[in-house]
Amino acid sequence: MIAVNGVTKAYQDGAVRRQVLRGVDLEVARGSTAAIVGPSGSGKSTLLNILGALDTPDAGSVRVDGVDLTASRPSALAGFRNRSLGFVFQFHQLLPDFTALENVMMPGRIAGRPTSSLSALALALLDQVGLADRAGAFPQQLSGGERQRIAICRALVLEPAVLLADEPTGNLDSRSGEQVLELLDTLRRRRDTTMLLVTHNPAVANRCRKVLRLDGGRLTALGA
Amino acid sequence: MGFVWHIAVRYFRSTRADAHIRALSTLTAGGLAVGTAALVLALAALAGFQNLLLEDLTRHTPALQIEFGGGSAGEGAAATESLRDLAELAAATNGVAGVQELLYARGWLADEDRPFAVEVLGYEKTPPPWIPVPGEAISGLIVPVSAALRMGLAVGDTVRVVSPRPGLTPVGPQPRTRMLPVDLIYRSGRAEEADDPVLVPLEQASALFAGGDRRLDLTLAPGADPEEIGDFLRRGIDPAVATVTTWREANRALLFVLRLEKGLVFSAVALIVAVASFALLAALSMVLSSKRAEVGVLAAMGAPPARLQRVFLLLGALLSVGGASLGGAAGAGLAAFLDRYRVISTPSDVYVVDYVPFLVRGTDVLVVLVVTVLFTAAAAVIGARKASLLHPVEAMRSART
Ligand SMILES: Nc1ncnc2c1ncn2[C@@H]1O[C@H](COP(=O)(O)OP(=O)(O)OP(=O)(O)O)[C@@H](O)[C@H]1O
Ligand SMILES: [Mg+2]
Repeated sequence: MIAVNGVTKAYQDGAVRRQVLRGVDLEVARGSTAAIVGPSGSGKSTLLNILGALDTPDAGSVRVDGVDLTASRPSALAGFRNRSLGFVFQFHQLLPDFTALENVMMPGRIAGRPTSSLSALALALLDQVGLADRAGAFPQQLSGGERQRIAICRALVLEPAVLLADEPTGNLDSRSGEQVLELLDTLRRRRDTTMLLVTHNPAVANRCRKVLRLDGGRLTALGA
Repeated sequence: MGFVWHIAVRYFRSTRADAHIRALSTLTAGGLAVGTAALVLALAALAGFQNLLLEDLTRHTPALQIEFGGGSAGEGAAATESLRDLAELAAATNGVAGVQELLYARGWLADEDRPFAVEVLGYEKTPPPWIPVPGEAISGLIVPVSAALRMGLAVGDTVRVVSPRPGLTPVGPQPRTRMLPVDLIYRSGRAEEADDPVLVPLEQASALFAGGDRRLDLTLAPGADPEEIGDFLRRGIDPAVATVTTWREANRALLFVLRLEKGLVFSAVALIVAVASFALLAALSMVLSSKRAEVGVLAAMGAPPARLQRVFLLLGALLSVGGASLGGAAGAGLAAFLDRYRVISTPSDVYVVDYVPFLVRGTDVLVVLVVTVLFTAAAAVIGARKASLLHPVEAMRSART
């Protein structure tokens, strides 16, 4: 469940104040999916960071999976991010010192899960996106699309209650894009995961229950 | 292997990849190795030297002395009485193996034509251990070589010992004197040979120099603690009559200088470790700035700031433990080698032994380790703190631009 009310966010760029979000309201029910579209620089990643407890809004309230993010202490938020959130970053952000498999396992290692069951889980995920044979490769040995799929596996490994994905299919051809969407769908059905995707791809957006457009600092529904 | 180890070990390996970080981490390890080796070696050299010096000192100073305030308090039959009492008290004390009574005075040795001023030391039984004479058979007059040369004395000659206090005789005051045969001539080896005392057996010395300063030298049983026995004796002795001094108190200035020397040498050499710790701080900061985005990702995935800080603390430990322990072991090994094979020699007439002794003490090595750990831990804490202060979004942004 995601509930956002009147969120504003501005960045101070030297003397210039850039108001990115001007009162964003958003509601995504548990187990539902929503897509956010909008021009580049409209604040999509900014909003996702706020929902992911990585950044704080200037005003407004944010509840994610029953937790009031604006009222929680940073140490509590770290645990919350690890337990309840899956995050696919716009720029993959794989860890270059670790193999694909180790990258996928990382949220589990932070959570202190036993490595043997964790690696089985991670391998199964890699297999579902067609990368089982690349498990031992390091990020710099992988293509952009492969990295992106690994980043998605990493976000899914702890089967989070809420998935926030910033252009998860941006670098993918239609076949691997399809694989990824299948994977997300499987998780949503099994864990009732709430999903919020940022995408430029209309085909991806149309598979979501809700499509929202972020422009001028406000969110507007494009259709249900 | 937990999360912290997992990350820290991988980052440790990655320090080999970047040329600048590699240089800094090599400087850290090398600096710590050189620093700890130099510290252990320097302390071992000092300990070896000071050990010999103290051995020499304890051989030549009694473990405990009881000194009587000279002059009025030390005169007369009452004083002699209290001296005897104290000697008995000391001898009966647990841990005291022997009590020797000594008397210090100024007097003259005189031949036919003229007197020579000398220090007189009255001794009981055998000469005190710090006078380098074979003690066994001697019980007569023992003359230092300086006086013997001035007066042309040889063993067997008879010489007159003169006291400055006149004795009252029926014909008026007469100098107290006694003719004694020279039993032995000794050489103290000290720089001020002219001050070396003439040793006179105690009975004759007491008779001649009743007003001299009295002293009891105590030898202790093996393992007895001078401080403890000194405290015990002090409780039973009126400080107006006599003062109790342990060998440590008697040599306080020297012991202080030895400690000071050790402290100064240690501080100077510890600077190497301090510099290596700065290198560690620089290495950690460089690793952190090259890993900023990744640490941001770990934070975004829910790694708590304290654990990220621990990753870099552990990385600091990994970067320093090898060099430090290698250096410590090498220093100890080198010191043991130099001592065992007496590699560094000194002129034999300058020093008690003709080589530089090294003594590796467990406590010294421990101090070196503790200081090294403190320095490096301080550097690691400062370096690692930044990892816990990262803002995940800002950190991740930094990688893209
Ligand atoms: N830390 C920051 N400091 C200053 N300005 C920032 C900062 N982060 C984001 N911005 C600005 O906020 C605006 C929104 O950025 P954001 O990354 O949210 O856009 P976006 O919608 O995700 O764009 P894209 O589709 O290109 O990813 C941009 O104009 C950006 O320059
Ligand atoms: Mg974006």
